[in-house]
Amino acid sequence: MSNSIPLAEALARYRPDADLGSLPELADVDTLLNTYHPDHLRDSLVKLAVGANAGDSCQRELAGLLQAEAFIDEADLAGTPVTDVDVLVIGGGGAGCAAALAAAENGARVLLATKLRLGDSNTVMAEGGIQAAIEPDDSIQRHIQDTLRGGHHAANPALVSAMAGDGPEVLRWLISQGMQFEQTPSGDLHTRRAGGMSTARLVHCRDYTGLEMMRVLREAVIQHRSIEVWEQSPTVELLSNELGQKCVGAVLTSLLDGQLRIVRTRSVILATGGLGRLHLNGFPTSNHLGATGDGLVLAYRIGARLCELDSFQYHPTGMLHPSHLAGKLVTEGVRAAGALLVNGLGNRFIDELQPRDVVCAAILRECSEGRGIRIDAKHVGVWLDTPRLECAQPGLLERQFPNLMSRTRVAGVDPRLEPLLVHPTLHYQNGGAVIDVNGATTVPGLYAVGEVAGGIHGRNRIMGNALLEIISFGRRAGAAATANRDRGPKKVTLEHVNRLRRALTLAGLPMTQRAPQVLPDYATTGGAWNR
Amino acid sequence: MTTSNATANENVQPSGVALTINGIAVNAVAGMTLVEAAWHGGVPRVTGVGCLEGVCGSCRVMLRRGKEVTVGLACQTFVEDGIDVIFLPPASAPQHHYEISDFKDGWDIHARFHKIFPEASRCRHCHGCVNACPKDIAVEDGVVQAAAGRFREAGETFFECIMCELCDVACPELIAPAHVGLFSRRITAHFHLRPPNLINRLEELRQARAGTAQKENGEE
Repeated sequence: MSNSIPLAEALARYRPDADLGSLPELADVDTLLNTYHPDHLRDSLVKLAVGANAGDSCQRELAGLLQAEAFIDEADLAGTPVTDVDVLVIGGGGAGCAAALAAAENGARVLLATKLRLGDSNTVMAEGGIQAAIEPDDSIQRHIQDTLRGGHHAANPALVSAMAGDGPEVLRWLISQGMQFEQTPSGDLHTRRAGGMSTARLVHCRDYTGLEMMRVLREAVIQHRSIEVWEQSPTVELLSNELGQKCVGAVLTSLLDGQLRIVRTRSVILATGGLGRLHLNGFPTSNHLGATGDGLVLAYRIGARLCELDSFQYHPTGMLHPSHLAGKLVTEGVRAAGALLVNGLGNRFIDELQPRDVVCAAILRECSEGRGIRIDAKHVGVWLDTPRLECAQPGLLERQFPNLMSRTRVAGVDPRLEPLLVHPTLHYQNGGAVIDVNGATTVPGLYAVGEVAGGIHGRNRIMGNALLEIISFGRRAGAAATANRDRGPKKVTLEHVNRLRRALTLAGLPMTQRAPQVLPDYATTGGAWNR
Repeated sequence: MTTSNATANENVQPSGVALTINGIAVNAVAGMTLVEAAWHGGVPRVTGVGCLEGVCGSCRVMLRRGKEVTVGLACQTFVEDGIDVIFLPPASAPQHHYEISDFKDGWDIHARFHKIFPEASRCRHCHGCVNACPKDIAVEDGVVQAAAGRFREAGETFFECIMCELCDVACPELIAPAHVGLFSRRITAHFHLRPPNLINRLEELRQARAGTAQKENGEE
């Protein structure tokens, strides 16, 4: 990277009205991805040795957690207070809230447990919008096709079609809960076209779509009479029946008093989100503090099958500067609105509205081939040309991206005057627990919705499908979990943990590491990532 | 605690900034946010941290500079020499109850608002909420607009609200302005957002479903 262009030099050369040259032909997408996408980094993959996915490829750091020792033993359960509920929802983001509300609407007594505060999630940070095929020239079929193509045809078509078909109804439900969206002067919902979409399909609330969704759902959950919320209560283990084959509850702890609590239930819905805070392959992340992949660990240990454990989304435009915002997103909406990507030589190098994995790989190519812009030895990026956008459409940034403006204002940066320095950032886990159209995993009694679930986005998610997915499958799982009318558990055990321990011992794997991680190391033992 | 501080202190660079967080002395580096400083200094039990970009409202802190006391968000505030920082506990459960599905009729919303939020008309314009808001929202104006039944305007005033609920804490009349703002936004969408493009698509899908159902029934 030493041959990249120093920041001062690049800044001196930068002009918002400079000729950017012609866009080079994108000859071979597969070679670009195979050479530069972080999923293909040498040594980043290993084969899992135990569990439902034994023999499958898995990202190295994640594999360590999936094949780790549990925190508790049967002895820890003795004398632990027990709470009985119909449905336990683990996770307090958009998916968890949607699932809890759906279960409560169907008559269940619901407990929603979250390890941080209700609403602390990646949902609240989603900026760009939610996809739904509502424009006259659009159709559910086109939404399905775009999603499958964006995911390199690795997604489960049944899940994609369920989600896309739910789109318009999801918007209606969100509006009835009190969520606002941007409108055109004639009252239509305003739509934008973003990366990987064949037409305008992205509905949004300026660049605060996730915040608007989350504060509405959070309030709806808090106000609901049949939903109880436990905050600062991470789940340390699921509970199984005597055979270790059915999920019948969970063991929770409290960040405030450290006390264990058993929850017995007919159905558990995992809505724990992703794993950006594991900083896979040493990348910065756009994710909130709790995104440590706990749900994957819990699901895998009780025997659920997972998928696409080797496929992650690195969002092309994470901020490189200022350093306290390193890895935080500049929404794809800015590119959808017309902002271009420019390298240190002042040239465009990729069609900005290609799917995220392609744009990400192209940026990493520019950086590694010496056309990046260097802040210091470790930090190289490319320009996101916001001043040019401002010149072309004066006032647009202030009007449509107040979140971006407010964040940069705190740091004394003005995107209208200087281009933003960006670099790919770990953003999303494409895979997750294998589910059916009701969010049911391969383990009876266990559901997974939102980022922790897999099969919907294939090997690359296109923008706006995450916010749709969490509501679509959240509501499906909430309803299905309530319909599970067996009499509930007679006995709760850790049989599945014993089974995994035997397998780990047989495979000769060390049991030194424990999981789930709950919080990143630097938040518990000191130090700060990126410093 | 002393040991963890001692280890952290070994990393201190010359340009160190000395402050206290939850009563513990921390030596940070200029340009760090208060959250980064808390991690850097090994301050235990800092769990009220979420998005790290100022939209989740979790990292509420009380800040003391000499005799001046203010509140803010730890992920959006940078370290300063001599500042005392206390991470605040999460907000307590809301005191105002309603379920949006209970509202069937838009004509009586104003009356019901005053039943749900009886304190909203008692604002004494003390500016406590305005001073507390980390997003510079004109909280007082928003409450006045809502109390006058201008829910669309009130909702717009609260557009950037991140639900940190610091205004709720600051209000001597217990108005809960953040929830007043959210109520205003929700009611506006619930009763007035009727977008033609969405409605048309929903109707098309309904007819397609009805058509399929009819065909299936006919074939049976």
